[in-house]
Amino acid sequence: MKRGADLLAALFCLVWVFPVYWMINSAFKRRDELQSTTPYFVPAHPTLDNFVTAFTQENFLTNLRNSVIVVAATVVLSIAIGIFAAAALSRFRFTGRRAVLVVILAVQMLPGTALLIPMFSLFNTANLLGTYYALILAYLATTLPFSIWVMRGFFVAIPVEIEEAARCDGAGTWRILISVLFPLVAPGVIATSIFAFIAAWNDYLIAYTFMQDQDHYTLPVWLASFTNPNVGTDYGGQMAASVIFSLPVVVFFLIVQRNLVAGMSAGAVKG
Amino acid sequence: MSVRTPAPPSTSAAPAPSARGRRRDLTPLWLLTPAGLVITVVTIAPIFYLVYTSFTDYNQRTLFTGEFTYTGLDQYTSLLSSGAFWRSLLRTVLFTTAMVAGSMLIGMAVSHLLTRVSTFWRYTTTVVLILAWAMPNVASTLVWNWLFQPGYGVLNWLLAQLRVFGDTTDLNWADDPMLAYTAIWLLIVWQAVPFIALTLNAAEQQVPPEYQEAARLDGAGEFTVYRVITLTFLRPTLLLVTILSVIWDYNVFNQIWLFSAGGPGEATSTLGVFTYRTAFIGFDIGQGAAISVVTTLILLGLTALYIRNLLKSGENL
Repeated sequence: MKRGADLLAALFCLVWVFPVYWMINSAFKRRDELQSTTPYFVPAHPTLDNFVTAFTQENFLTNLRNSVIVVAATVVLSIAIGIFAAAALSRFRFTGRRAVLVVILAVQMLPGTALLIPMFSLFNTANLLGTYYALILAYLATTLPFSIWVMRGFFVAIPVEIEEAARCDGAGTWRILISVLFPLVAPGVIATSIFAFIAAWNDYLIAYTFMQDQDHYTLPVWLASFTNPNVGTDYGGQMAASVIFSLPVVVFFLIVQRNLVAGMSAGAVKG
Repeated sequence: MSVRTPAPPSTSAAPAPSARGRRRDLTPLWLLTPAGLVITVVTIAPIFYLVYTSFTDYNQRTLFTGEFTYTGLDQYTSLLSSGAFWRSLLRTVLFTTAMVAGSMLIGMAVSHLLTRVSTFWRYTTTVVLILAWAMPNVASTLVWNWLFQPGYGVLNWLLAQLRVFGDTTDLNWADDPMLAYTAIWLLIVWQAVPFIALTLNAAEQQVPPEYQEAARLDGAGEFTVYRVITLTFLRPTLLLVTILSVIWDYNVFNQIWLFSAGGPGEATSTLGVFTYRTAFIGFDIGQGAAISVVTTLILLGLTALYIRNLLKSGENL
């Protein structure tokens, strides 16, 4: 019986891994192997040319820099602002706490355009379109609420006794927060940073709509507009670029894997 | 954006009862102020502005002059009498149903499969699922474009080898409504199954084996055991995962935009694409805002249901 189930699992894995395999496989193929009527399931002459094309592509470095600046700012701000709110919503009881949590959850369910349209008009008026500020503010709209939500889960898990012990030793509320609770949620901060990183790094729609010219785009927009004027869409280059772009996300995903599985029954990250 | 609310490890510990001693403490207020300010600026204010814009004729001219006028319910009456809107809504509902049904069924099957395979295949399948899950959707959509590319795409080549559909080498998937839907459906299901399968599997492992064994002793077949025992235990998780899938699939944008751009014609223009085209291609921002408000209102019921169920399932607010 187990044999049959294993066979099914093997079949499933083959189908499911195929797109990822095909991306990697194509990234290492020469142009004549990419444009062959019979596909090469393994590159006959593996080459790094496609990666060279991707790295030397116009705007790659500028757009990579844009991505890094915007993503880093988003992650740092989400954590720095979110951690205090997460502490408030987990270690204290006060009226309106539940309402705040419901708002935080509800915001996640908004369709992308519901924030995209008003932000576009407002940033247009404020002359912010095309700037890093526009992107960072737009990303915070999603990353801040879920950072609060995720970190709150880690705060809740800290036993009250620890807090009480610190209080007995004479520590005040802020002292307890900063020297006792914050260090204890460090793993949660790391997991949350990764979630925020992935959200901001992967965004295509907002950057594509707000940034408006090639120098200001971020990597996902660069990736989607990856064409070679000589050969039309250069699939080899595009697949190599996709590998480069996806690699940090996949690595981070594997790092937070345990948190994903632990948090899943309540609805974790959407791919 | 693609990473959605990761609801955290749900712990049963209630918020610190130690708070009892400092009920009138203003500390939580101070702690919440920075986040409250930012959320007000980046979320709440824009939502109000969206609703406000939907009652005006905000358009391309406004972007340069800043001038627009209040037009009352005009945007809504023209929207509700527009055939394009209703067609788009119908498409969204049907396509969402197809995506949710497909990914839920496959997800449930894979989750159950994972409980019956050897450790090696359990581990391998989990890694494969996480790989598919982790791929940024822009990258996977580009991979899809290449898999389905007319001329050199490997999918067309494989189909041609089956010799059922004739020579499919030059089949253009983005150029035919049904083919475009099929390709996008496959992409969404491919990305959605990992979350569903792994979530359900985590819940399935919590089902007490005694119940299943008792049912087997009573002569129940494997399918009956699954239907009667396992599914009963899975019901709360299934409900949450289904609601989340509906919300996510209803909001799908990037994959459609980058695969078919809503085409051919308006054939794959679901509400997200329709809104985007109206607001940012036609720059009829007032109308786009009205569509967005209606889209959000339709979702609101589901969101409320989700939050209620999350509360019921023991998530401690």
